[in-house]
Amino acid sequence: MRVRIRYFGQFKDLTGLEEEFLELPEGCTVAEARELVKQRHPPLASKEQILVALNGSFGDLGDKVREGDELAFFPPVSGG
Amino acid sequence: MIRVQKEDFDIGELLSAVKSPRVGGVSCFLGCVRDSSQGRRVERMSIEVYEEMAAAELEKIRDEALERFQVEEAVVVHRYGDLEVGDNIVFIAVGAAHREEAFQACRYILEELKRRVPIWKKEVSPDGEHWVEGVRPG
Repeated sequence: MRVRIRYFGQFKDLTGLEEEFLELPEGCTVAEARELVKQRHPPLASKEQILVALNGSFGDLGDKVREGDELAFFPPVSGG
Repeated sequence: MIRVQKEDFDIGELLSAVKSPRVGGVSCFLGCVRDSSQGRRVERMSIEVYEEMAAAELEKIRDEALERFQVEEAVVVHRYGDLEVGDNIVFIAVGAAHREEAFQACRYILEELKRRVPIWKKEVSPDGEHWVEGVRPG
């Protein structure tokens, strides 16, 4: 299944990408998607904190990802 | 009212937006760009945002504050893009019947924003650019 992956903050610099489209296995969870993304982008693998949003909101790492979903990966936020 | 925007904001207009006959006190917070950070001189700042999510998350935080502290109205505006020292970054205003709830709600919105809203600051110093380390969500 095809999923849109977006990177923000420092992760955009570390991956050199704002977004990419990846084929993920059916039934893939948010946690599994995060592992795949870490393998794909080694600079992310050493990051202690990788936050993930599924379709624009914080969810559970066990949530299932579906075809056409948007996953965003980013470091702890620093607004305000 | 929630806004995530590049442009500066009019503080007077935002303060007026939280006033009503039921409001006896308005509390507000203004965040702006400081000229130093962790011992480094800061020349300017670049703010990045996951715009769709930031607006939605701010709406949630605002609603939580209204509910939890029983305040009348709250506005939050956060800027993104390239900012200079002294520029406004964020403004929060809360109108409530009494001061205590207004202060508490304003503080709540700010702290939750810093914890949950997908916005990142990058400071530009004489020795290069530095992403600001975020607060870990707890």
